[in-house]
Amino acid sequence: MRAKMRAGWGVLFMTLMLCLNVSFIPHAHAHRIYLFAWVEGDMVHTDSYFPNRKKVGGGRIEVFDEKGNRLLEGKTDEKGAFSFTPPQKTTLRIVLNASMGHKAEFTLSADEFSDGPQEKKAETPMNTSKAKPLTGAAMDREQVRIEIEGVLDQKLRPIIRALARIQEEKTPGFRDIIAGIGYIFGIMGLILYFKNRPKN
Amino acid sequence: MHISEGILSGPVLIAGAALAVVGAGIGLKRLNPDQVPKVSVLSAAFFVASLVHIPIGPANVHLTLNGLMGLCLGWAAFPAIMVALILQTLLFQYGGLTTLGVNSIVMASPALVCFFVFKSGVRSDRAGVSVTASFLCGFGSVLLAALLMAFSLFFTGEQFLVVAKLIVAAHLPVMIIEGLITVIAVKFIKQVKPEILEAMYAS
Repeated sequence: MRAKMRAGWGVLFMTLMLCLNVSFIPHAHAHRIYLFAWVEGDMVHTDSYFPNRKKVGGGRIEVFDEKGNRLLEGKTDEKGAFSFTPPQKTTLRIVLNASMGHKAEFTLSADEFSDGPQEKKAETPMNTSKAKPLTGAAMDREQVRIEIEGVLDQKLRPIIRALARIQEEKTPGFRDIIAGIGYIFGIMGLILYFKNRPKN
Repeated sequence: MHISEGILSGPVLIAGAALAVVGAGIGLKRLNPDQVPKVSVLSAAFFVASLVHIPIGPANVHLTLNGLMGLCLGWAAFPAIMVALILQTLLFQYGGLTTLGVNSIVMASPALVCFFVFKSGVRSDRAGVSVTASFLCGFGSVLLAALLMAFSLFFTGEQFLVVAKLIVAAHLPVMIIEGLITVIAVKFIKQVKPEILEAMYAS
């Protein structure tokens, strides 16, 4: 009877442990948050998310320049996005603060801001509307270039995001878990060795 | 429950590191060589337990198992938890290197406190008392860890009550689950190999 009782609790314990261990494999974790920023035209777009792809909504974003002056701040929307027009096209340090002590940073270097079409946009007064009739070969080329830039920005955005994910995400893999457990037992072995040496 | 780098102020980090070193030192000194395998197994369990996630609203919280660690290891819970945290930081980038001291205190001191408070209850032969004490130990250690975490964030200027409420509320399901796990684990261990529970023998 006692043996049966023991087995009962044992089975319950093992089942619980097994369920828990199985459940951790597909899920990912909220011990850190990811922040990625990129430039599209004149705007800087940011994306914030937890490792399990859930967005960080309502996170506080602060933008600093290289000298540490705070340029602007804002909040991510419920999709984890926050976009802004940088007041200056220098190296920007973007910091995200989410609740419960989560923080992430991203540095956008100055050379990500492309020149060219933006400046040309300012110079030529007639290229704001695509419906304007094209006059002159130079205008044609300029229009085409602007259109291509716009389309490229649009098409590349998901690729940039995917790249960001691959670069930033280092969710604990099976290898890391095995490594950690291995280290723990290695340390155990060392301690045992030193503690068990005969005291001469 | 791991605080990331760059959030806490310098003095808090240094104080945390100092206290953690003291705690780990005491734990190691009292460590009996026979106990080392047990410490390692529990340290590994703690290491893996943080990977078990419970989604709460926008964020996830994870299991801690520090109640069980306290009951099984007593003072040795300090170095065990610290080692696991170091490895988590290095391998998974959970928390940060500078915050290791503070994170160790946040996780290990509740283990110790609950060990001292509940060990006589857990040791009792009366099932009801033992079950209640185990549940409270698991529940309490997560609660204390949440409060300690809020406390350390408070020193950085965040409003304590607001942060504390947030963290405690987010971890309530964890507290309950941890309590249950501790109850089941203690029951099982007591029947199979009571020597594992430091709570049984420490004075």
